[in-house]
Amino acid sequence: MDNKLSEAEKIINDMSKNIEVSIVEDMIKDNKIPFIYEEKEYRVRLLNRVEKEELDMLRRKKFGALLKDSDILLEKDLILQLKKRDINVDEIDADIKKLEAQERDVQIKLGESLAKNEGETIFNIYKEQIENFRIDKQIKAAQKTILLEFSLENQLLNYVAEIITYLSLEVKNEAGRWQRMFKSLDDFRAYTDEKLITQAGAYAMILQYF
Amino acid sequence: MNIYTNIRLLAKSVKGQNLFTAAKDISGIQLFKNKFNLSQIQEYYLSYLYIYDTINRDIIVEKISPHVLDCELFEDSYLLWKKLNKNVEKKEEKSISKDMHLVCGNKIIFPTEVK
Repeated sequence: MDNKLSEAEKIINDMSKNIEVSIVEDMIKDNKIPFIYEEKEYRVRLLNRVEKEELDMLRRKKFGALLKDSDILLEKDLILQLKKRDINVDEIDADIKKLEAQERDVQIKLGESLAKNEGETIFNIYKEQIENFRIDKQIKAAQKTILLEFSLENQLLNYVAEIITYLSLEVKNEAGRWQRMFKSLDDFRAYTDEKLITQAGAYAMILQYF
Repeated sequence: MNIYTNIRLLAKSVKGQNLFTAAKDISGIQLFKNKFNLSQIQEYYLSYLYIYDTINRDIIVEKISPHVLDCELFEDSYLLWKKLNKNVEKKEEKSISKDMHLVCGNKIIFPTEVK
């Protein structure tokens, strides 16, 4: 019975993996990601040249505005401020680099042992070592991300993600034609369904900045 | 859904590899609907089609372990080692050709006539 259950689980896992792969296959075919949200058809697509120019113009404007805001610090200035409070981001960076170097050394050893076909036991010993380095590195990287969350660079990145979503989200109208979801940036800002925007934003960023 | 992993799975699949080989050999076969303005995601997919083609060939020709394809970590490690190994081989080749040049140009000692 247990065997049958685990076989069934494996089949279900394989099937869901295949579905995910086929979604990705559709995505890369034409740089468009269609999705259904509350029974309506939406899609995001890669920006064209004119839209990219609009994005660039808005990004430049926002950058200028952020620079004028004295409450928002550039990453390097934020790092200096944190240092004054005994939080050393440079030290975290150094730790990450050290872990990367250690990981790379073991990866080279693993690569050589795979090329020489030295056996699964050896492969798995190296694999475990690399995975441990990666976990440590992820913890350090997460610490750094949290500390620099409010830097000017991050604020700008979040803004760009919003603009890309605004420019690339389309909805299928009653005639079955695709049309831009938002006519203006004000429309986009006034829109209240955050769930749709988050979903569309994630897809739009995959296409634009994968 | 991890997009990176799924793109690699797609490039690694029999279907992906067959299409890649066919597109290389037959000019009418296109991998994408667009012919230019490739997105990052498409470039990433293309590079992985090449990578898995190389690994598959190395398994057959170089007799490396087929376990290379067990997971991404093995694949990346093998490719890193291969890249470094190639660089070492290139350096060795260069140093050999330098020595040859020195031998021919400057270091041949011709026998002198005994008086």
